[in-house]
Amino acid sequence: MTNPELISFDSLLENGRSLLESQIIEAQTPEPGRLDLVIGPSDLPQAVQTLVDNHWGYLAAITGLDRPESSEVEALYHFCSGPAVLTLRVRVPYAEPALPTICGVIPSATLYEREFMEMFGVQVTGTPDPQRLFLPDDWPEGVYPLRKSFNPQEKVPQVKPKANGDNAGRYIVPIGPQHPALKEPGHFEFTVNGEIVTGASVRLGYVHRGIEKACEERTWTQAMYLLERVCGICSNSHAYAYVLGVEKLAQVEAPERAQAIRELVAGLERIHSHLLWLGVAAHEAGFDTLFMYSWRDRETVMDLLERLTGNRVNYSANLIGGVKFDVDDEQRRTILAGLDYLEERCRHYLDVVSTDAAFLQRTRGVGTMTREQAELLGVVGPTARASGVDRDIRVEAPYGSYRRFPVSIVIEHAGDLEAKFVVRVKEMLVSISTLRALLDNLPPGELVARVPRRIPAGETISRVEAPRGELFYFIKSSGGDKPERVKVRTPSICNFGSVIHTAVGHQFADMPMLLAGIDPCFSCNDRMIVVRKK
Amino acid sequence: METRINSPWNRLMDQMKAWARINSPWAIHFNSGSCNGCDIEILATLTPRYDLERFGVKLQGSPRHSDVLICTGPVTRQARERLLRIYEQMPEPKFVVAVGSCGLSGGAFQGCYNVIGSIDEVIPVDAYIPGCPPRPEAIIDGVVKLLSSLKPGAAGAQPASNGKGMA
Repeated sequence: MTNPELISFDSLLENGRSLLESQIIEAQTPEPGRLDLVIGPSDLPQAVQTLVDNHWGYLAAITGLDRPESSEVEALYHFCSGPAVLTLRVRVPYAEPALPTICGVIPSATLYEREFMEMFGVQVTGTPDPQRLFLPDDWPEGVYPLRKSFNPQEKVPQVKPKANGDNAGRYIVPIGPQHPALKEPGHFEFTVNGEIVTGASVRLGYVHRGIEKACEERTWTQAMYLLERVCGICSNSHAYAYVLGVEKLAQVEAPERAQAIRELVAGLERIHSHLLWLGVAAHEAGFDTLFMYSWRDRETVMDLLERLTGNRVNYSANLIGGVKFDVDDEQRRTILAGLDYLEERCRHYLDVVSTDAAFLQRTRGVGTMTREQAELLGVVGPTARASGVDRDIRVEAPYGSYRRFPVSIVIEHAGDLEAKFVVRVKEMLVSISTLRALLDNLPPGELVARVPRRIPAGETISRVEAPRGELFYFIKSSGGDKPERVKVRTPSICNFGSVIHTAVGHQFADMPMLLAGIDPCFSCNDRMIVVRKK
Repeated sequence: METRINSPWNRLMDQMKAWARINSPWAIHFNSGSCNGCDIEILATLTPRYDLERFGVKLQGSPRHSDVLICTGPVTRQARERLLRIYEQMPEPKFVVAVGSCGLSGGAFQGCYNVIGSIDEVIPVDAYIPGCPPRPEAIIDGVVKLLSSLKPGAAGAQPASNGKGMA
């Protein structure tokens, strides 16, 4: 593995710029590590093709920006390569709202394109599936929630939903939105031939609440509490990514001690999230004993988090500019003792998931995703690392105190469900040893830095490694006391495509396990997806 | 409204049904737009530390076999129809427990364009458990209070659905 510290993002960005030299209309560097290139809409597919052909990073997100002052919508295609982010900016006027698709080059972009279409009212011509992605079935045509002209306080009329497409001649098993195998609502349709799945589609959006729009109506501090509630499992990661971005905009840096405490909470959150996942995934495999054991041990982490933050779930640990609480000596000792117990248990679980014969029949060789597939589908987090892709923001682009208290990356190469179990359990062990080092060397100092109420105008990107993978925030300020735009790209949306892809050819009974394998988080998605294969 | 014959046999049957209902309620869980916070706490109540099963509560996958609907989250536009359908599929008498601030009032998501509001704007609710999210102890307390209210003669022995039309 290459040491990210040795890669200069300047040379990466310079390389990206030289690849696209002929198409650039305008180039800007909004902050270190970023390069924004304005290109014409018709050049977009060619530019993306050039980047992909030269293996320049992966498509992390498509952000839309409404610019009513110049009557246009701007689309931002963010490509990430290690610590560097290259953004292709394309402007489309209201009068002629159309963009060419890039799905011919990057198939997984279909989700991002469809989200962009319905939220901003821009037609992406040639996109394989132009169906609604995010909004409810009874949402009227021509109402675009993320346009500035849309007022969320006004009641949006309900229209009669369109009928589903023609499914004649296919045998479809619907699952959800309420189903014993689903802990959250989602709707899946599996086309089957006997016991073998031949096609799959997913429709989310049952928990779409419209948080991105709501952030534009709240102050910088209020938005943090809302974003913490994007997802109750990785609530700290959302607040973490948001405060990092806002601090960058305000040119404030949280004190060292605060950064270390953030890493401490993030590490404990990862352990709780992975133990939660281990239990739920074991339950899907019919291994309820493991479910009960791992949830019993998870209570140890919950106790530590509660002792530290006062809350079991939405920790509210972060402030813009710092953290809310300190760690005293007694808490430190309690956490260290808890970590000792958890380490012993994690070693036991590692043994269970890699040796239990009955369990291995459900996981070994099931749902295999090769490294090439993982890279093509743009998966992130433990799902990617189980397929041998070394993608971990904490290592590639260390933020906060991850430079001072680094984590080592855990990689497995098999790509099957067993590898996904092993990666997550090993990650807990890595987190435990990092947290020990952190608690032994907790830097002294203040907890909060002073931050102005109005955040200076600007745009920023912050990326955080959540338990499920890379969490990507794009934040724009216009200099006021409220954000102009907050774009959230959660890890689950990157990983969903991979389930649909790997489902084909598997036994129908393996579907709950395959789904559980990516640790899907429906509320994180905050959006709806329909992917059709076949 | 069914007519009740106040015979000794019927009284005995009612007592037996109430006894069975209080001691082994089957619960179904539906998330109509929650952030997961309440859902993981509900799941935590079923696992060894809190162990809701000691009250005879069993989580059940099918609405047709369930007595209690445990609901989390504000109701989104897309989930509304499904929440109604699940409620309608449950046999009478049925009880609804709304868990979490969002389920009670819309919580942090009030005013979001895709959120209709609290659960009791869509279906009748019998027990409200506040918190963001409520602690497992609070959820257990809510369920136990609901169960003890079902004892014959206790206030609230009738479900909120009785005599009310659907919202």
